[in-house]
Amino acid sequence: MADIVFCYLTMEKKHTKIESEQGKSGAFIMKRYQRLLEIFYIMAKIGLFTFGGGWSIIAQMQNEFVDKRGWLTEEQVVDYMSLARSFPGVMIINMSVFCGYAMEGVAGGAVAAVGLSAPALAAIALVTYFYSSLRDNIFMARALNGVRSVVVPIIISACLKLKKTAVKGRPAYVILAVSFVICALTGFNKLLLVLAALAAGLLIWRGEIADDIS
Amino acid sequence: MTYLRLFLSFMKIGFCSFGGMTMIPVINDEVLRYGWMTPVEVMDIVAVAEMTPGSLGINCATFVGLRTAGLPGALCASLGVMMPSLTLSMIAAHFIFHLKGNSYLESAMRGVRPASMGMLMAAAVTLGFATFVPEGAIAWNLVGIAVVCGVLLIKKELSIPKTILIAAVLGLILG
Repeated sequence: MADIVFCYLTMEKKHTKIESEQGKSGAFIMKRYQRLLEIFYIMAKIGLFTFGGGWSIIAQMQNEFVDKRGWLTEEQVVDYMSLARSFPGVMIINMSVFCGYAMEGVAGGAVAAVGLSAPALAAIALVTYFYSSLRDNIFMARALNGVRSVVVPIIISACLKLKKTAVKGRPAYVILAVSFVICALTGFNKLLLVLAALAAGLLIWRGEIADDIS
Repeated sequence: MTYLRLFLSFMKIGFCSFGGMTMIPVINDEVLRYGWMTPVEVMDIVAVAEMTPGSLGINCATFVGLRTAGLPGALCASLGVMMPSLTLSMIAAHFIFHLKGNSYLESAMRGVRPASMGMLMAAAVTLGFATFVPEGAIAWNLVGIAVVCGVLLIKKELSIPKTILIAAVLGLILG
């Protein structure tokens, strides 16, 4: 933890230094470079202080980029949010790419995604470093037993939350049941399953706008 | 070779999952297939990922990468899991106005979302079996912890990190 805090402090120092240098050089390239750095710094800060879910990350991005800096509009954030959910991969990384791209193009997207992930990488590296020695400690082993038991309830609560947005209409229940049975009983390739579900969705709904069924 | 395999595996994980928990079933498949982790370690990393900053996908990738091939492995795996965002989403960001509110994309997703949820439910069953029936007999103390925490989480809407802390304390007493 101390490492992470130190990391954050030095980042802050660097940031203020760059800002004070802004006055000396007004070159366009310099400005773009600075904005990229600032995006990285903001995203890293958000990544460092967000635990668990993605929704608080979006709220923080909104606060930093829309409210404080005006680099994005409220509508953009809402649009990107629904798109980010529809794309494969980590939702919040998709979101960073969309926002970063809107601000500074490809470089902005990449910088935003890497910035958000950097603190997570550092934190997990620390945890992994201590993991093996902690696991062999008798008290830690008992605590970890408790922690493991909570993973299934966490998944169940995630399913309950997903159900509201994910299962709309009777065919969706059929897809859900088929997917559950296939995964529980066989080691069927998940990529093929996702592609099959994608095709099924296209065939069943054929692009009709359906916000009526819920 | 291990680096490439880590990268490709986590790229597959990225492309197969649509946010958060739906990653667990695919992660489970891939890391068990190559013997990178045991089912018990998968449970640990899910809990750890929920308690540390950052998203589940990145955290898992870092953990698995570090344990199998050190820091370069962690970077390869993390980059792999970010690939869908860096490719598909980046391209989409370019054409964003065409895609906005595309009804065919929405139709496809209406098929994919329930399938992801089914995968997740199946993962809960297999992971639950590994935790609660460790050596052929049901571990009632762990089932008890799960029930208590489940009620706190779902009925009382306690946050996930807090619930995990409570589970750890309960584990110290009962585990």
